[in-house]
Amino acid sequence: MNIDNTASQMRKGVLEFCILSIIKLGEAYPSDIIDIMKSANLNILEGTLYPLLTRLKNAEFLTYRWVESNSGPPRKYFSLTEKGAKFYEELEATWLELAGAVETITGKNK
Amino acid sequence: MKKVININFQGTIVPIEESSYELLQQYIESLRHYFANEEGRDEIINDIESRISELFQERLKAGSTCITDDDVNAIIKNMGRPADFEEADKGDNESDKTAGAGNAKKSENFFQGDWSWKGKRLYRDENNKILGGVCSGIAAYFGIDPVIVRILFLVSGIGVLAYAILWIFVPGSNMLENGVRKRLYRNPDGKIIGGVCSGIGSYFDVNPWLPRFIFLIPFISFFFRWGHIGPLTFPNFLSFSFSPGSFIIYIILWLVIPEANTTSEKLEMKGEKVDLNSIKNSVLKEMKEVGVRVGKMGQDVGERMGKMGAEAGNFAKEKGADFGKEVHFAARRSSGMLGKVITTIFKIFMYFVLGCIALAIIIALFAIAIVAIGLFPLKNFVLTEGWQTILAWGTLIFFIGVPVIGIITFIIRRFARVKTANKLMRYSFVALWILGIVCFVSLITSVGRDFRSISSLNEQQIPLTNPAVKSLEVVPFQNLNYRRIGWFNLEPFGTFGSTDDTAFIGNVRIRITKSPTDSFQLSIIKMSNGRSRRFADTLVSLISFNAQQNDSLLMLDRAITVNTTDKFRNQYVEATIAVPVGHYIKVDKNFGYGNRVRYRFFTQDPDWYYYNNDNDHDYDYNYGVKYIMKQDGLYTMDGNRSDGRDDDWNNNSDDNNQTSPPANDQGGTYRYDKNPKIDSLKNAQEKQIQKMQAAVDSMKQAREKEVNHMRDSLNKAKDEIDKKIENLNRRTALIPNCEQKIADNYTFIMYI
Repeated sequence: MNIDNTASQMRKGVLEFCILSIIKLGEAYPSDIIDIMKSANLNILEGTLYPLLTRLKNAEFLTYRWVESNSGPPRKYFSLTEKGAKFYEELEATWLELAGAVETITGKNK
Repeated sequence: MKKVININFQGTIVPIEESSYELLQQYIESLRHYFANEEGRDEIINDIESRISELFQERLKAGSTCITDDDVNAIIKNMGRPADFEEADKGDNESDKTAGAGNAKKSENFFQGDWSWKGKRLYRDENNKILGGVCSGIAAYFGIDPVIVRILFLVSGIGVLAYAILWIFVPGSNMLENGVRKRLYRNPDGKIIGGVCSGIGSYFDVNPWLPRFIFLIPFISFFFRWGHIGPLTFPNFLSFSFSPGSFIIYIILWLVIPEANTTSEKLEMKGEKVDLNSIKNSVLKEMKEVGVRVGKMGQDVGERMGKMGAEAGNFAKEKGADFGKEVHFAARRSSGMLGKVITTIFKIFMYFVLGCIALAIIIALFAIAIVAIGLFPLKNFVLTEGWQTILAWGTLIFFIGVPVIGIITFIIRRFARVKTANKLMRYSFVALWILGIVCFVSLITSVGRDFRSISSLNEQQIPLTNPAVKSLEVVPFQNLNYRRIGWFNLEPFGTFGSTDDTAFIGNVRIRITKSPTDSFQLSIIKMSNGRSRRFADTLVSLISFNAQQNDSLLMLDRAITVNTTDKFRNQYVEATIAVPVGHYIKVDKNFGYGNRVRYRFFTQDPDWYYYNNDNDHDYDYNYGVKYIMKQDGLYTMDGNRSDGRDDDWNNNSDDNNQTSPPANDQGGTYRYDKNPKIDSLKNAQEKQIQKMQAAVDSMKQAREKEVNHMRDSLNKAKDEIDKKIENLNRRTALIPNCEQKIADNYTFIMYI
């Protein structure tokens, strides 16, 4: 049991939630997602983002459209599907519940 | 100075340094491997490539003339290597286990084969392994708990072997580390002969002179005369004496290991640092991990058992209600699933069976190869010069050597993970082997023809200088050649030591029969096979067999000689010693040593030796034991029959035909040499008694003769059966040898 492992597990647990949240704001390009997460100090490797997006897309939570780009090949812009929105709401509820619980418990230590 | 090439990458032209291009290619290849089991692999790779292409464009727009190693490395760092992803995945799995209700989605994905194992290929799961990952691989394939598979393997008796075979033949899931996989290549830049040693050197990150030195040891030792010098001395075939072993291994490696020609291959050749120290470390780590993993599994199982109990209750309660609803759906789904499961189980079973067969063939081949190499120096004693010798070489090299080298090649390719499929090599192997079969068959038929005819049988009486001795001991002539130590013990001719063109073979059989007269007699039959009867008779006339009597010692040759000009054609000498009743005979135990050598090429009645002379049957006896000849057979000095047959057997069979008193009564008390002695008191009454006694004796004798006759004919039948059994034994004498070899090979292979 080391701190790195536990911390990365915590981060991983909320990763999907964060990504869906970013996409919910509006169509997003993967490198935008990375940038937003970086600016929020949540670093992930780009290489792990693509498979995650593909899985979410295959689970029909996401959809995408091609957008021509002037710097290189066309880009995939992702957006939430109805099913994805519902999934996001469930996740959000779970998160709020969890965050509240964690806050309540850890708050006592302060 | 670096070469710059233009590539078409995701629809755009990118000028890139050649080495950077190789780096990029490797990286993408490693991703491809990593995502091999992902459903959306191509899509993921495509997305990543697009992104990389975009990043390239950015750099080029910023003013770079081309993409350099630094650019590619920076991009790869951002994207992450498969090893980095793996860490993340590990987190996934652990959260799977620890999370309670929250893993519903995960496990759903799991069964949908979302992240791996979707009915594609069976891999060893190296992330969740305890030993080789076989069980967890199978478990992941079916989507069941690895513990179940592990228990099945442990419970079933064949588990260990099956595991080993699957470990070898099922590829690992994790064949790549850090993106760059290290491969064994021949290094064309540092080569002296084939670049094998310098390739091995760069694989293990040692100076190429170290492998070179190891390969050279046998040759160096030759100059310093360490060890033996026999070029094919079998036990030292692979040891550090002068042997072609290291040369052959070098040639095989040369054939098997591809040359590193392109830059990417050269990069792969060097790969990450794998020096001897890191191998040691990784082995130690592995050992420790196995211990930890086993411990963890034990704990895991314990926990799960408890949980299972608790959950079973819940399950029954909750699911009972849903059951009816779901049954319809489940039945539909599981019919498809079941079919798949059955096919896969069948596939695994077939893998296993094929693996077993392959293993058996490999072991048999190695055994044959070893025996053949051992026997090969003897070919001059059997084969005529010219075609037969050429065919023998062909058989050895193509029929035996080619498959052995082929299998070694296959194994090395497996272990070195050489990927290039060399069709040409495969076809030439097959073609050479077919040539080998042709050689073998022609050799067998050609040699068989040389053994086709048998010589005419002539019994030759050898006059004894003093045939009237009371007892005779048969001893071998002292021949210094017998004492020579054969340099190779597998060979049949070597028992008495062989020189280059003469071999001594122990094809001498001494028979003991009952003499019709009251003196010893010795007769000899020489036999041989040959291409024709005349040829066989010539060979018979060449057999020299000496006999000499010296009072009570009868000296006979213990072996006959075969030389390379006249060849070995089953030459055989049968010496028959007729022992008069009441006399003693002993055959020296030295006659029991040495091999009888006889080859049979489906040509004639295998037992012709034993039917040549069935008027007077011979007795079984042991070497080095003194016997006395009695009217009804050969007895030891203790009064036991020479063949060790118990008398009950005789009684029973005698009783079948006629009622006779127990045979041993007479055999035990009656002595043929107990002639009625003439007493010093010669009165008429005694004479009368003697007469009566004589009459009784003669009656007894007649009776006994009858019994003996019966017994003899029974003995004869039994002797024939015994001989047939002995014959069979002799025929199968090579089998224990082979079994030993097979056992040796087996351990050798297991050791690999």
